[in-house]
Amino acid sequence: MQVRLIEFVDLLRRGGVRVSTAEVVDAAEALTAVSLEERSGVRAALRATLVKRNSDRNIFEELFDLYWSSFQGALHEAFQAAPFSEDGAALEALLRQLQPAEGPRPLSAIPPLSELARALWDADLGALEAAIRAAGERAGVGRIESFLQVGFFTRLLMEQLGAAETGRELLAAAVALRRAGLGDAEAEALAAFVQERLEALRRSVRSYVERQLQQRQRDAVAQFRRRALLERSFYTLTEEDVRELRGAVAQLAERIRNALSLRRKREKRGRLDLHHTLRKNLSHGGVPFELAFKRRVRDRPKVVILCDVSSSVANVSRFMLQFAYSLQDAFTKIRSFVFVADIGEVTPLFQRDEINAAIERALEGGDVINPYTRSDFGAAFYQFWREYLAAVDKRTTVIVLGDARNNYNDPRAWCLEEIRSKAKNVLWLNPENPAAWGFGDSAMDRYRPFCDRAVECRNVKQLAEFVDELLL
Amino acid sequence: MFQDAAAALRALAGQGYIASPEIGTAVFLAQQLEKPVLVEGPAGVGKTELAKAIAAATGRELIRLQCYEGLDEAKALYEWEYSKQLLYTQILKEKFTELMAGATTLSEAAERVAAQDNVFFSDRFIVPRPLLQAITAREPTLLLIDEVDKSDPEFEAFLLEILSDFQVSVPEIGTFTARQRPLVFLTSNDTRELSDALKRRCLHLFIDYPDAVLEQRILAARVPGIAERLRARVADFMQKLRALDLKKTPSISETLDWARALLVLNADDLSPALVDGTLNVLLKYEVDIRKARRELANLLRTENAESIAPGAEAAPLASP
Repeated sequence: MQVRLIEFVDLLRRGGVRVSTAEVVDAAEALTAVSLEERSGVRAALRATLVKRNSDRNIFEELFDLYWSSFQGALHEAFQAAPFSEDGAALEALLRQLQPAEGPRPLSAIPPLSELARALWDADLGALEAAIRAAGERAGVGRIESFLQVGFFTRLLMEQLGAAETGRELLAAAVALRRAGLGDAEAEALAAFVQERLEALRRSVRSYVERQLQQRQRDAVAQFRRRALLERSFYTLTEEDVRELRGAVAQLAERIRNALSLRRKREKRGRLDLHHTLRKNLSHGGVPFELAFKRRVRDRPKVVILCDVSSSVANVSRFMLQFAYSLQDAFTKIRSFVFVADIGEVTPLFQRDEINAAIERALEGGDVINPYTRSDFGAAFYQFWREYLAAVDKRTTVIVLGDARNNYNDPRAWCLEEIRSKAKNVLWLNPENPAAWGFGDSAMDRYRPFCDRAVECRNVKQLAEFVDELLL
Repeated sequence: MFQDAAAALRALAGQGYIASPEIGTAVFLAQQLEKPVLVEGPAGVGKTELAKAIAAATGRELIRLQCYEGLDEAKALYEWEYSKQLLYTQILKEKFTELMAGATTLSEAAERVAAQDNVFFSDRFIVPRPLLQAITAREPTLLLIDEVDKSDPEFEAFLLEILSDFQVSVPEIGTFTARQRPLVFLTSNDTRELSDALKRRCLHLFIDYPDAVLEQRILAARVPGIAERLRARVADFMQKLRALDLKKTPSISETLDWARALLVLNADDLSPALVDGTLNVLLKYEVDIRKARRELANLLRTENAESIAPGAEAAPLASP
């Protein structure tokens, strides 16, 4: 059991679940406390001791089924189909069943069987499973890489098991029984039975090999996805990725929020405020019953976000908005604007709708702009300058998200300059590689002088770093 | 003490807490391995209730520590009763003067005061908070650290220390070591990811919304007067309601409230008008209620009435 536990833990780790050694010890201890007969008990015990993050629960369920249940299930199924196997009919019982009238037949009529043959005859699934696993180990089935190898490894495992010898052994036993006076019909049934059992063994081995293949493929894929998703470029995200990333971004936002609360706590802890303490305790005759401490206050940033929602950068805008609105309490005020050629405010959307729905609607123009035009940063900035400049004051950070691909329109960089002169600072997030800024129809080089910072933001990881820095 | 997971389940059922086998196993393991259990799950699925039911089933005293933002050691562990100490010094002023009577130098006087130190830093002036209470209790206790995700990350680190060796040292008095190991339950609503270090030390139990069968059993146990047919309908309705994309998915506590409300209204079946009128018991947001109203016809449809209401013939619409 221990070996299997360690193997399973290894599988979990390869699947991206963090399992510590202490937890494995706990799991081993837990397994001694529960009945191993009951699958659900084992499952619950392992889940309680090994899986601590909710996001890992699905991986655990999947791998548990893969590793424990389905093989035993397959084994069970394979041997259920073979006759004589009900209530685990042992060899002796079978003999009695075959020869009810003539009294006990000396078992010596059958030559002593090897371990595997006996397990096969008795349908001793536990012993069979152990034998198959051991054979798999010897055959190095863990190396399997492609579906084409299933047949090869199945044969290899059967060889390792000594299936051919076992088969001969069983047939010899059947012959011996016949010689001992078994009826023809029974003898035929017995031969058929042996054949069935061998076939069941072969099926089991094959399903074991297939499972090994699945395990390898599955964790390779899962591992790759996990690492890559946060670092994937916004340009290559599929709809599925976006859905998955939404959860990841929510978690990141949560983490930033925690760090923030910690930072703020530290700031709060000031020195003793003598003046305040004296004033507070005047009613106690000056005896300092209640103490007062100095507090340093830091103002939270006020943010205006200008999001390009043209299809090329929609994903950056999507996740930036998600960050902004999940971290809402970290800001004094957030106002969000979306633009393609016109600009419009979507802040009310976020007050009215649930966050995900609001973001989706904002990306479609949020009823305030027409998203199906060609990007014109100049026009958008000009309109912002004319209509919404009042939203910017000297405590406001203006964040622009866009690739600055202006379709050769007039960039009107002076609008951005005006905005900057009123704002605390202007930050620009560009999903393009800095090497491409200013080439082709990119007006980034024109806008850049009026940004306090212009950073590349190609994936969620970079975006998270940016948000974290912003709130520092 | 529970013999096995099934015994734990039975004991919980005896307290009116109907649990899934998974919960039984976790509780049993907590007792066997002497490890704290971290219970996570959506709000209202009975995380706190579980701890209470176990305390009642095992006859342990329940000590509850409610976490909130800004909770610190003084509120969780112990605190010197500063004002009481001051009060005592004020009252005992005369006694001090007496004590100082013979002292000639300042340092001698200070020496005498120092000798009385332990008067003011003794059990008398310490206020034990839940953690210290759980450790110093003579009888076996169950320590419930509720909504640990609401506390600050620093407090979590502090909890780790306590949970690993169950001892607390008070510099002025000495070290308190647990006389008995309390059973510890931590609950979390998953508003933030707890630290891996804390999770590693705990067994993990995730309580999800119950399936229809379990929910029916819970209803039977907690709302005894409810007719079997209505119970089945309610459980079925809840399953479908949870499948909707709601801002706040209703949980078991809401199901129970609703069932009680239906009972008071003398309902024996769910009619659209009845559900419409009582939806506000289940759903707490206007958007959710609107959404549920739109879907009402679908939610109330029962494809196979016989299988959903087993034994409806046996107890034909017997409304109490």
